[in-house]
Amino acid sequence: MQIKELIRVAVVFGPGRAIRPVWFDWHNRKHAVLETTYTWSDLKGSARRLHFAVRDDGGLYELTYDTSEQTWELTGLEGN
Amino acid sequence: MADRIVMHVDMNAFFASVEQQANPELRGKPIAVIGRGRTVVTTASYEARAFGVKTGMNTWQAKQACPQVIFVIGDNRKYTHTSAGIMKMMLDYTPLVEVFSIDEAWLDVTHSLSIFGSAENIAYLLKSRIRHRFGITCSIGIAPNKLLAKLASEMKKPDGLTVIPPAEVSRILEQLPVKELCGIGRKMEQQLLMMGIRTCGELGRYQLERLTRKFGVIGERLQQMGKGIDNSPVVPVEDEQEVKSVGHSMTLDKDIERRQDILKYLLQLSEMVGRRARRYNVAGRTVHLTVRFADFSTIGRQCTMKNHTNRSDEIFNEAISILDTLGLDQPVRLLGVRITNLCYQQQQFPLFEDERRKVLATSAMDEVNDRYGSFAVTYGSVLDNGDKGSFVISPAWRPDGIRNVDVK
Repeated sequence: MQIKELIRVAVVFGPGRAIRPVWFDWHNRKHAVLETTYTWSDLKGSARRLHFAVRDDGGLYELTYDTSEQTWELTGLEGN
Repeated sequence: MADRIVMHVDMNAFFASVEQQANPELRGKPIAVIGRGRTVVTTASYEARAFGVKTGMNTWQAKQACPQVIFVIGDNRKYTHTSAGIMKMMLDYTPLVEVFSIDEAWLDVTHSLSIFGSAENIAYLLKSRIRHRFGITCSIGIAPNKLLAKLASEMKKPDGLTVIPPAEVSRILEQLPVKELCGIGRKMEQQLLMMGIRTCGELGRYQLERLTRKFGVIGERLQQMGKGIDNSPVVPVEDEQEVKSVGHSMTLDKDIERRQDILKYLLQLSEMVGRRARRYNVAGRTVHLTVRFADFSTIGRQCTMKNHTNRSDEIFNEAISILDTLGLDQPVRLLGVRITNLCYQQQQFPLFEDERRKVLATSAMDEVNDRYGSFAVTYGSVLDNGDKGSFVISPAWRPDGIRNVDVK
């Protein structure tokens, strides 16, 4: 399911260029990221967006980081 | 061309493998990646293939073959990102990388052995890096040329590594059916069968004169293929021939009949063509229009203008004039617009004020769209077309350059 909601995400930057989401808030619940299953990037206009498929104990989510706006969005959801 | 070492890398069930990696719930299950709307299976996982699910089936056929198949709507940006990453890895082993499609490439590693030891070693390194970074597998073939390397990569799937040494070529080809060779499709296979040619060995020994009489200039090429000879070089993207056309087509979500609806999609396609042409500074003089009807019959017409253009409005106007010459007796399923007769480095500022304004307006639109994404600003009449842009990865897709279509 596609959604588009700005959310709060805790992230570990590094070492190097690695970015690892650790938890995110959504629907008044803190979701601990158990695994980042896939990462990819794309461009929206001139803005690079980094996508993370992450799993918590209940489902699979797609988190998107807009490197230009420096915002995190929840953009996809499965298995909830 | 003697003593070359060519590798062919073929990603296994590429789109499906990426989706299974991204979603652990799908791993080990029969899945079929489909497009949005009324589309067909683009890739089936090996688990689904075991039930007979194949690329090109519609969802109903796939469900008949495998009732438990899980349909996954493809995410093209995942695939283009992954493909570009893999092709970049390949360049660490040789600059001679020819991208054949989003999931296939050839590498000429002849001159890389002094660094990496052997072609097998390069293959193992590449396979392990792809698996480590993306979690997916590929099959690799190593042989003296592109034809045989591709054949070798097909021999063991998934996750295979097959080497065809030069001394083994004749033995392997002797009993190999001709259809196994890249470039021999079903039609050609039928024609060869009618001539009594079933295997590559038979093709290689067949009288050249009779092959040439039947197939013309490609007769000799066919005989060489039968012998496993292929002198075509591995051509890196920067050495590829300049593109001869820029085009986009779209299968509509539902068939349309009304002229005004057709025009909305033609304008959208013209804008996609014009924008890509402008981005890479090419312009075309001939506009082609393709229309596929509900019964899958397809017609294509073209029109050549006095001057080259890459302006969307001019391409659109030509497309309309072609459309008006066609008899639209039934609903339209697919539309395609393409420009050919290209010239590169097209930069001409019009003399007259009206035309100059149009060029400046187009340029302003491009700047906004470059910054905020395709169709951030566009023509009012295409606003209600639904999702706009390319949703299918063309076989001609490349990680860079004018063939790099931004798919959604």
